[in-house]
Amino acid sequence: MCVTALAAFAVTIIFRTSTTANFAQGAISAFGCYVVADLLNKHGIPVWIGVFAGVLVGVVIGVFIDLLVFRRGRHVNELGKQIITMGFVSLFFGGIPLVFGTPERIPFEAFYNTVKAKTSPNFVIPALGGEIVITKHAVICLGITVVVLAVLFLLLKYSKWGLGVRATASSEFTAELMGIDTHVITAISWALACGLGVLAAVMYAGGGTSISAAFMTTIQVNAFLACILGGFSTFYGPVIGAVLIPLAASCVGFLANFKGFYGISRWQMVIVYVLLLIAILIKPEGLFGKKTLKKV
Amino acid sequence: MSMTGTERRLLKKARRLKTEIEMLTASRDLRIERETEKTAARRAEQLRQEGLRAAEESFESLGADEIRRAITEKRLREENERYAALRKEILLCGYLLSDEENEALASAHESHLERIREKTTAELSSLSNPSAGKKLELPAVAEEGAAPDTTKLRERCDRKIENAKERLRNVERRLESSGASNRQAELEEGIILRIQDLKMYFGGVKAVDGLSFDVHEGEIFGLIGPNGAGKTTVFNCITQFYKPTGGTLLFRGRENEVVDLTKEKVHDVILHGIVRTFQNVEVVPELTVLENLLIAGHRQYSSGIAASALHLPKLRREEDVIRYKAEKVLSFMGLSAYAGAYAFGLPYGILKKIEIARTLMCSPRLIILDEPAAGLNDTETADLARLIRRIREEYSCTILLVEHDMGLVMDVCDNICAISFGKLLAFGTPEKIQTNRDVQQAYLGVDEEGESDGTA
Amino acid sequence: MDIKQEYLSAAYPGGAKKNIGSNIRAVFANPLAQIALVGVVLALVQFLALGGMISSAFAYALGNTLIYAIVAIGFCLLLGYSGLASLGTAGFIGLGSYVAFYLIEGMGAPYYVALLVTLAVSITIGVIVGFISLRIEGIYLAIMTLALAEIIRSLLMVLKATIKININNIVLFGVNVNEKAVYLLITATFVILMVLTSNLIRSPVGRAMLAMKDSTSASQAMGISLMKYRLLAFVISTVYAAMGGLLYMMYVRNMTTATSTLLTLSTSLNILGAVIIGGAKSLWGTTLGTFIIYGLQSMFLSKIRFFVDHPAFITMITGLLIILVVMFFPGGFAQMLAAFRGWLRRKRIERRIRAYVDDRN
Repeated sequence: MCVTALAAFAVTIIFRTSTTANFAQGAISAFGCYVVADLLNKHGIPVWIGVFAGVLVGVVIGVFIDLLVFRRGRHVNELGKQIITMGFVSLFFGGIPLVFGTPERIPFEAFYNTVKAKTSPNFVIPALGGEIVITKHAVICLGITVVVLAVLFLLLKYSKWGLGVRATASSEFTAELMGIDTHVITAISWALACGLGVLAAVMYAGGGTSISAAFMTTIQVNAFLACILGGFSTFYGPVIGAVLIPLAASCVGFLANFKGFYGISRWQMVIVYVLLLIAILIKPEGLFGKKTLKKV
Repeated sequence: MSMTGTERRLLKKARRLKTEIEMLTASRDLRIERETEKTAARRAEQLRQEGLRAAEESFESLGADEIRRAITEKRLREENERYAALRKEILLCGYLLSDEENEALASAHESHLERIREKTTAELSSLSNPSAGKKLELPAVAEEGAAPDTTKLRERCDRKIENAKERLRNVERRLESSGASNRQAELEEGIILRIQDLKMYFGGVKAVDGLSFDVHEGEIFGLIGPNGAGKTTVFNCITQFYKPTGGTLLFRGRENEVVDLTKEKVHDVILHGIVRTFQNVEVVPELTVLENLLIAGHRQYSSGIAASALHLPKLRREEDVIRYKAEKVLSFMGLSAYAGAYAFGLPYGILKKIEIARTLMCSPRLIILDEPAAGLNDTETADLARLIRRIREEYSCTILLVEHDMGLVMDVCDNICAISFGKLLAFGTPEKIQTNRDVQQAYLGVDEEGESDGTA
Repeated sequence: MDIKQEYLSAAYPGGAKKNIGSNIRAVFANPLAQIALVGVVLALVQFLALGGMISSAFAYALGNTLIYAIVAIGFCLLLGYSGLASLGTAGFIGLGSYVAFYLIEGMGAPYYVALLVTLAVSITIGVIVGFISLRIEGIYLAIMTLALAEIIRSLLMVLKATIKININNIVLFGVNVNEKAVYLLITATFVILMVLTSNLIRSPVGRAMLAMKDSTSASQAMGISLMKYRLLAFVISTVYAAMGGLLYMMYVRNMTTATSTLLTLSTSLNILGAVIIGGAKSLWGTTLGTFIIYGLQSMFLSKIRFFVDHPAFITMITGLLIILVVMFFPGGFAQMLAAFRGWLRRKRIERRIRAYVDDRN
């Protein structure tokens, strides 16, 4: 859930400043995650430094993509930009196994262990005649997510950069005329988005998931769906969407505990997807979105 | 005034059938014409052969002057053809001639012609034929014998047309019994478009605020106003690109019925004969000029997707009709030379013309021109004024235009509506508008603060 | 020339002149003739392989590539003509293959029943997903199809555990057939779909799609319903992908490889890459693109050690090519070829202009 929220925010910020959906988000995150895993497993670097380095790699990749590809391809239309990000997915999918070896399991033991070792791993809350298990890992993730998102929203609201982003988002051309350096704004947005992506991937992998080049795809799909559900036109919409979707999924999953609904968990994602389709059918611009008119 | 679902479906069906009948009729006429042409060509070829034989025999008795004239003419014609072919090829492959090359070509053409004249005279100076011999009679293509027997074709086509008409009558009967025709809004005779209390708000911005005016059938109507007055917004509302916040838009359709435009979808507006151009030219660069015109004929096809995928004869026949129509429009607009050229990279003036040509493809009743003179120079603007009048004469339609070029507006328009901040400022003939104080103020700036109404 | 002859031709101009060369050229310029020719050559490959003149592995790889080419043609219509991108290709291939598996192996249904069911299922899902996600912006389609593909993949992964792995009984027109006959079926399907698509492109439908891609407002003003044609393009691409899946299952006959390699996002991206690199607007370009991405690997590079050890290398190159092509040559190979031709044509025109000016006859 937290991971999705971060990823959703990352997708939105790029969508707003560069008018494209960044399909490479997941692949870049996975790349950063591999870097972190390599540093931790092979070089024994402390967790926080490793994570920081990974995020830095993400930032560098983000700036690199913006500088080398998007700035030069300004004449490329929206579809073209979208396809370029898809090209990056392919590039990273091919590149990761080449750089880090075959996409076998690289368990994230170091990170997992540090988290686990400090205290007992899980909180157990008795509820509804059953038990809700909250892992220590989840708590840490939640903490990080809340802090990061809070800082980001404050930045968006009050900082000069935030103002620039919002201005660029509403109209890049006008923003440029008003003396905002949209190049810097988009570069920072890409850096931020990719950095956030890596952070999200590390958090996800820290939960014990084995990593591969495509391991972030599911998360990314959820993030996109969250963006659609929440609406691309606000920054908070996707984050709320990111909370709602897993919630809906676990509600469906919860049904599986009851008699007659056994086996529903297999169709969990299908049901959520269909619910989402219905939501879009009713409110195409998203729950918190605003209608925009195209000028002709 | 609301219609039930069945009625709307029936109306739609009737419209489709009418299109089909029109198409079938056009196709029949074209096919008969083609048949006739073919027979005429065969006949002409026959006559040519006969003439050729006769001339061969009587060559010795022909006049020398006649021979000289004919041969010179032929050689000059060949040269002209060669020149035209080269020019066309240059145009089609998008090769931009520099001024020097252009001049060199033209002067080379002139000197070629001159040389051919000289050479021919020299060559033919010593003809043995009598100088005042007889002239050869060229056989004229006789009328009789040129007309082919098309009764069978006509019958076959007419059967299909009759069939469609029968279906249409059926639909109309059903429509009548449901009483849809009685529930029409009223529109006085002679008025083609009525805009009443039109409102278009974007959030808090009132782009158009309670605007009303009538457009009469057959007139050239100008909509003027300072930048941001909401002129294009009005157009977008008429063509349903924007759904108006409020107000009524009534239009007199092809069958003299009154259409409530706000209930139409944006891509159905064209069916009533309302077509528009765009401020920043919207021509499809990946298609040729001719194909760009075919796009505008899109709704005249009655063959569906299956016919398209299989290229059934029905589609081929319809394609033939539309192409023929497009070629006619192109020659009307003087664009025939560009027919096969891709729209990508053509000069701006040509693109603007293509846009206007596109509006002529669907037997228009109301043509909406959004700043047609923008980016044109003075001579081009003068041409445009003539063109607009010609279009009205030729297609007997109404033209509505937004324009900044006051010279053009005052020149061509019968009536002008001046708006400012989405509200009506003045309405009337060009003379009245020119002398109107409000209009002058809106254009030249407000001399007293707060004088202008409707500050949004 | 004789003066008499010249006079006669001047007085009686006209007369048809036709040469055989231009007639032959006209036949080969006809797209349908081109497709038929390629179809015959492709079918010939299998017979040559049967005769032992071509290695059967080569023919097998060719058949495999053709399946992807079928999928790519549908995608070409979606991307090159309607300007929409979908990431659900793999999902729809999976759908088709699962239907084939379930009906043919599980229920022993004949080919045409499987074909009809595949068509029905893919059209239904295509219409539902397309209708909802195309109501807004083009970008939504890519996202919704990506999600759908993920769901189909995870579902099939679950289902895979419960079904038998290999399928053996494929009945075609009442006869139990082997891969070699399926190869001919693939070729036939390829030719038929190629003809249909090529016809569609050269019809009002194709023009409407192009207009819609280049200018939504102009096409709307000209009476083209955006929803109708976008949906049409999407459904066609869905159907082609599902047909590809159906043929894949009949050809490869292995559910495990199907689910583990076919259904991943990489497949969708490879198809996208094939279309982009070959030329999104050109059917032959797309086919060429498929041969570059799939054919090259399976038919030739499989003999080179480096590519066997690092299969991911191809994926990476594909990605790189996609980026470069979109940035510098949005029309892919087809555009490069056209640009080259245009250049030649301009050179020729320049020569002709010079020749005309210098002409002193």
